[in-house]
Amino acid sequence: MGVFVNYACLFRLLLWANALTFITAVNIASDATELSGDRALNRPSSFISVPHAFQPDSFRQFLTLGLSDAFPEDMEGTENCLELLSIFGQRYVTLANCLVSYARPVKVCQNCYTDYNNFENIYKNISSDQSGPGNVSCQDSLLWSDRLMLLPSLYSGLRDIWESAACTNCLTAYQMNLSNETLNFLAKLNQSLICFDKYQQGNHSELCKKCKTAYKQLDELYSKMEGNKTLCIDIEDAMNMTRQLWSKNCSSPRKEMVPVIAVSSFMLFLPIIFYLSNYLHSEQKKRKLIHPKRAKSSHSLMNIQDKFS
Amino acid sequence: MANIAKKVSWSGKNDETRGERTPLLNGSEEVRYNRQVPGLSCLCHEQSLLLSLSLCPALLEMQDPVRSRPKEIPHNEKLLSLKYESLDYDNSENQLFLEEERRMSHMGFRCLEISRWVICGLIGVFTGLIACFIDIVVEKLAGVKYSVVKKNIEMFTEVGGLSISLLLWVVLNSAFVMVGAIIVTCFEPIAAGSGIPQIKCYLNGVKVPRVVRLKTLVVKVCGVICSVAGGLAVGKEGPMIHSGAVVAAGVSQGRSTSLKKDFKIFEYFRRDTEKRDFVSAGAAAGVSAAFGAPVGGVLFSLEEGASFWNQMLTWRIFFASMISTFTLNLVLSVYHNKTTELSSPGLINFGTFDLECVQYSLYEIPLFICMGAIGGLLGALFNLLNYWLTIFRIRYVHRPCLQVMEAMMVAAVTASVSFAMIYLSNDCKPLKMDNSEEYPLQLFCADGEYNAMATTFFNTPERSVRSLFHNPRGTYNLLTLGFFTLTYFFLACWTYGLMVSAGVFIPSLLIGAAWGRLFGIWADPGKYALMGAAAQLGGIVRMTLSLTVILVEATGNVTYGFPIMLVLMTAKIVGDYFIEGLYDIHIKLQSVPFLHWEAPATSHWLTAREVMSSPVTCFNQLEKVGTIMDFLSNTATNHNGFPVIVQASGEQVGKLCGLILRSQLIVLLKHKVFVERAHSRLHQRKLQLKDFRDAYPRFPPIQSIHVSQDERECMMDLSEFMNPTPYTVPQETSLPRVFKLFRALGLRHLVVVDDVNKVVGLVTRKDLARYHMGKHGLEELHLAQM
Repeated sequence: MGVFVNYACLFRLLLWANALTFITAVNIASDATELSGDRALNRPSSFISVPHAFQPDSFRQFLTLGLSDAFPEDMEGTENCLELLSIFGQRYVTLANCLVSYARPVKVCQNCYTDYNNFENIYKNISSDQSGPGNVSCQDSLLWSDRLMLLPSLYSGLRDIWESAACTNCLTAYQMNLSNETLNFLAKLNQSLICFDKYQQGNHSELCKKCKTAYKQLDELYSKMEGNKTLCIDIEDAMNMTRQLWSKNCSSPRKEMVPVIAVSSFMLFLPIIFYLSNYLHSEQKKRKLIHPKRAKSSHSLMNIQDKFS
Repeated sequence: MANIAKKVSWSGKNDETRGERTPLLNGSEEVRYNRQVPGLSCLCHEQSLLLSLSLCPALLEMQDPVRSRPKEIPHNEKLLSLKYESLDYDNSENQLFLEEERRMSHMGFRCLEISRWVICGLIGVFTGLIACFIDIVVEKLAGVKYSVVKKNIEMFTEVGGLSISLLLWVVLNSAFVMVGAIIVTCFEPIAAGSGIPQIKCYLNGVKVPRVVRLKTLVVKVCGVICSVAGGLAVGKEGPMIHSGAVVAAGVSQGRSTSLKKDFKIFEYFRRDTEKRDFVSAGAAAGVSAAFGAPVGGVLFSLEEGASFWNQMLTWRIFFASMISTFTLNLVLSVYHNKTTELSSPGLINFGTFDLECVQYSLYEIPLFICMGAIGGLLGALFNLLNYWLTIFRIRYVHRPCLQVMEAMMVAAVTASVSFAMIYLSNDCKPLKMDNSEEYPLQLFCADGEYNAMATTFFNTPERSVRSLFHNPRGTYNLLTLGFFTLTYFFLACWTYGLMVSAGVFIPSLLIGAAWGRLFGIWADPGKYALMGAAAQLGGIVRMTLSLTVILVEATGNVTYGFPIMLVLMTAKIVGDYFIEGLYDIHIKLQSVPFLHWEAPATSHWLTAREVMSSPVTCFNQLEKVGTIMDFLSNTATNHNGFPVIVQASGEQVGKLCGLILRSQLIVLLKHKVFVERAHSRLHQRKLQLKDFRDAYPRFPPIQSIHVSQDERECMMDLSEFMNPTPYTVPQETSLPRVFKLFRALGLRHLVVVDDVNKVVGLVTRKDLARYHMGKHGLEELHLAQM
């Protein structure tokens, strides 16, 4: 029987996954058109709307149609679990959408943390051990009951992304809000960017002069945050872009070629003098040869060789 | 035999010295006399003394009555210094020894065996701790220095004034190196260099003066710290071997003569035989702490020193090595707050190579061999340049103040050249989050990028090696690597041989890693960097088995064993075609009587009669104190072993019955063990082996022993103290045979006797080490006073 249960779940999930990918694909396609027009900071509203096909009821209907008849007793506890499953699906899509839409320039931490929190919560709900109405825990039926283990791998995929982005560094505790430091940085960044924009048209030396203070402040703040390890991908990326922008316009020139070369070559000149003067003035060390005592019959190698030749 | 004249070695290379050449032994015809020179008197003295003796009269008649003045020649590599003596590896089985052995119980021998193990453990622990100390202090000092300079450079990059940063760097480097050079030149010159040549000599059986003293250790450790922190192109790995050896020599004796502290333990081990075994364990522990390579350490001892080897000793040495690397690992992991990880087994950490790049394919093997050949060539060039430089240094730069100045100058030039390279480099790479660079310098790179040249120069050499091994492809561009290799090659070559304690391992690895990376820039650079490093190191030091194992262990990668072996083999073959290894060159230049594995190839026609020194100063079994005193105080003949003879009635020359050492005689004289006294003071305790051990290793000079006029008339009975069965050979024994005896038994003196067991001559280490294969066949080295 256990084998049957497994297969049933697997089949169900496969169906669901198919549906999900299909839906996501549609979604992204539709969003792409919307996005192109609207790139402002606020999130496009259409992202939140869940497509019709994803309503829990219809979903359940769709499932019961297929297989549940075959395993009537299996369905007792699953009402609740299916609910959870569908919420998981929604939130996954939302988060994925959010991440993709803020991929370049990177602003995922600033904009997706609510979605991520929601997503994480639902996963925690599923994986928490409390069993629902019929004493079957959703953890077993949804997470671990088959070889594929789709939910955990979906979850860990997104979690890994989130962790490598180091978003927690920019958020307050429990990821409820952006941290003050981050906000401060963003404000400073904005200042600099505005300044850059303003002088972009004119010649670059003016830009370098006028925006220097803003940029330096930003740079200092960044270094400080780097030291505190409060950097997340958003800040790093923003700073990288800003630095490139700045360095393109205002890189410090190599203006001391002559003194550096002069000092170096003076240093190189020293050993020549040193060795030359030693060679000329220092007394050469001589070694006193000692004549060892040898038997008279054999004076030297030479004699021996004479003898033999 | 047409070119006979050339087969004798000449005093110098150039023609003017050749003009006044004198075949060493061909005294009467060619030696030029010059009586104006002081030094003659002492030789006259010697002659008169010799003539006044009646111990071996037959031999005295043979003595050439020529009075030659000591000829002076500039220092070169074809000399043997008189200041080096042999160790007494051979046990003197005299009566005292037999008595002691009889007294010792079975339990006593058990305890000895156990204490040998304890000593080896202690050697490991102390060596590991010293390695930790060096590592931590160097890291701290270098950290301070680099962050100060870095801050300064950052400050001046924009506003201008980078030449001030350059000067700051120069001054800091020179200051560190000055301290290092001053302590070495003023307190213990033997601590200069890597110490590996000296330890090699010691393990070979040469008593290098002051090489295993506590003072040497202290100077060595401080010197290494200064020179590495001073940014010279040096490493701290070579000196670790020396430090390990000193630790071993100290611990095994259970006392420090320098500190005048005797712990009254391990007294049994106070003689050359035991000490030398422990020193080989110490050297192994040093290697193992330096590279995290315990097996490599054991093999290093085997390769460099061990003519006397047995399975138990090997096992003990391995134990010491393991303990040493474990101690280092433990302490460093506690220091880095990773107590349980135990992740730093050696001073240099090559880091682990990624699994996917571990493999090598078949087509790469010819490439590796090719790299080995390049390494051999570059190594030979390095050695040749260093050889010339060292000769120049010995001849002209021998005053301490000049040596300190030279070291400071090298430090200053190293800093300014590095700075110029960094300044002029355009190789900018983006900073990464997981960046391994400790001190990334931006300089003229765009913000968020760093100067790639600075990662090689603006760093301690060990870190540079690691970044060359492990930084991903594209970290360095062609020009950076090329310039780096070129400058570092000359800097390292110039630096080795300065009067600072410093090793040549890391610089060689660094040069090799740089050109290896250049070689493999089209493929996986880390692998080629490793092979290049192996090739360069092999080309310079010419170690074989132990170096292979050390590199395999240091990289933690057995897969590369085969290619590393091929590379080292090729490097050695190619390099040996041109010039010897660096350590052998330095041993030669220090005029050490070093015995190689084999006698020179074409020396079978030489017999003991030609090789030996003759006439020999002999003592009677019952000898007058005055005679002994006169002999020992004669400064011109600093003999250490004296055959003892018995005068049969009716014969002029006595037969050989034993051999006694100078050190033994001195102890006897000090305790006034005279025949007359023995009768008068029966209550006094008998002299024991312990009294000889207490005087070891620094026997008082003969001048410090006072013998009254009355006592000079007393007699001494040597029969109880001499070695009653010294090794002897007949006069016709060939040189290789004598050589084999010396090498295999660790002899110090070998008596040459005729068919009726009369002493004809004495062969010592210097008599054998004189002969070596030169360019024109067998050559002979001169003896010289230094």
